[in-house]
Amino acid sequence: MSRTASPEQAGAVAGTGSGVPAIATSGLHKAYGSRVALHDLTLAVQPGEVFGFLGPNGAGKTTAMKILLGLVRPTGGEALVFGRPPAEPAARRPVGYLPEHFRFQEWATGAELLDFHGRLAGLGAPERAARIPELLERVGLAGRGGERVRRYSKGMTQRLGLALAILHRPELVLLDEPTSALDPMGRREVRELVRELAAAGVTVFLNSHLLTEVEAVCDRVAIVTQGRVVASGPLDDLAGAVAQLRLLLDRVDREVLALVGRHGQVAKVEGTAVTLAVETLDVAPDLARLLVEAGYRLYGLVPVQRSLEDVFVDLVGEVREG
Amino acid sequence: MNALVVARWTVLEARRRRLLLAGAILSVAFVALFAVGFFLLYQDQQRALAENPAVGAGVLAAREELLAISTILVVLGLYGVQFLAALLGLFLGVASVSPEIDSGALHAVLARPLSRLEYLLGRFLALAGLLTAYVVVMSGSLLLIARVVAGYQPGDVTRVVGLMVLQVLILLAVSLLGSTVLPTLANGVVMLVLFGLAWLGGIIAFVATIPPGNELMANLGTAVSLLLPADAVWRGASYHVLPPSFLVASSFTNGDNVGIPFASTQPLAPAMLAWALAYPVACLSLAVAAFRRRDL
Repeated sequence: MSRTASPEQAGAVAGTGSGVPAIATSGLHKAYGSRVALHDLTLAVQPGEVFGFLGPNGAGKTTAMKILLGLVRPTGGEALVFGRPPAEPAARRPVGYLPEHFRFQEWATGAELLDFHGRLAGLGAPERAARIPELLERVGLAGRGGERVRRYSKGMTQRLGLALAILHRPELVLLDEPTSALDPMGRREVRELVRELAAAGVTVFLNSHLLTEVEAVCDRVAIVTQGRVVASGPLDDLAGAVAQLRLLLDRVDREVLALVGRHGQVAKVEGTAVTLAVETLDVAPDLARLLVEAGYRLYGLVPVQRSLEDVFVDLVGEVREG
Repeated sequence: MNALVVARWTVLEARRRRLLLAGAILSVAFVALFAVGFFLLYQDQQRALAENPAVGAGVLAAREELLAISTILVVLGLYGVQFLAALLGLFLGVASVSPEIDSGALHAVLARPLSRLEYLLGRFLALAGLLTAYVVVMSGSLLLIARVVAGYQPGDVTRVVGLMVLQVLILLAVSLLGSTVLPTLANGVVMLVLFGLAWLGGIIAFVATIPPGNELMANLGTAVSLLLPADAVWRGASYHVLPPSFLVASSFTNGDNVGIPFASTQPLAPAMLAWALAYPVACLSLAVAAFRRRDL
């Protein structure tokens, strides 16, 4: 109810330095009747990180985000935003949010919507007067603020949504599928905005089922499917977690498969090419020596870079089959 | 205070959706129709009584007859006002929360540092303000017309208007409660059925007063009124429309004629008044409790 907190103050509230994570959840659980949307979600996002929450549609990503905004009550576990439960209105002050499909009151004009949200966020009149035209300009809606949202194109509505999300200079921005309905230009603009936010030290939590999106902007990723996190970590680690070597030989027989099988797991055999999953790429030189000593001719030994998509498909596939 | 920010936004919404304009035009039309109808009918009666005093029994009886005509017209006019206001209150309440949830527009709003209590309070305050203004202007206009044309003086103007406002707030509060727990269409249906039931309860209570009287029916009417005291409050308001001289007039006490079906010659029982005052508060409290638990 208080309007005393100015955005400058909100800026100062940033968890940076205090060691409080921007987002911390432990054992978060949400069930709608017998349907479990989220199982035991535990994660921490540090201030300044760009965190990708990746999963297929219906994996529980939106549910998790809604819990972080106090829109949904968890049935178990705990969620904290800058150390406070998001059900407390004041805890949401440093948070900006772009809802899925960017749905807003269509009867209002863009400028009216920004003004309403600015008031709710505690911005004073002079700040709103300065900030709103500046934001409209920044997201490419200069001169369109007086039009009703109903008349906006999808791209314009998305730009308005982004303006609303960063209106009060938040410390944490939650983006729910920000690009799923957009054309390539729109997607690129969102990516640029996320990079700008990251450069300014703002924490970004991004829900997406689009891998390229996440790969392009995120520092760290959690892959979630059917309400469970199946993998998480820095993007590079995750993509490189299961390394593969591709061997090109003169012939493939039982002996050679047994030999390479001691250094990794044979994933695929195509003609005289063997794909081997290994724990580390460091086995490659030894493997080359052993193969040559055993009398095989080695035409190629190439590390296979696994994309996030491969990891994603493997993990999500495993859960579905299992 | 964020509740006031929401209230301001709600009034803006009513303006943008042309609700205010449409309401104003229809209201002016209704008042104009009443003014013309009242004026013509009153003049007709005046002329008829002047030409043929035998219709009444002398000057005194003629004046009483004119008063009875005026009273019936005013009660019917105000009945129209309360009916329109009641439907307006139900519609606004039904449309207050659930359509915003369905459209998803509420998510971004409630993600702000805004509590659910503040949101509901803001919605209620704005709609209650609009409806109060509507009832005050409409009933005030009708009473003013009756006064100018026929010199009509109701028993207690403040209570008439106050109770009519209370009735609308009851309907707004109950439909807002429905709007936090039910989908829009289901809530609309439930509210219309409740409203119809309350009206029927009033009719039952009225019929129960026809001599020799029926206690079972009276109790049934009261029970329905407890469920939704809107119609009972209107009847309470209508009692104060009647001029004091009308209430003691022989035609309404001799047992042959117990009054007008849509109005009451009895004041609202104090216990029912207390219940009617507590009712919107209870509805709002329940709405807040339910809305706090609701997942969006």
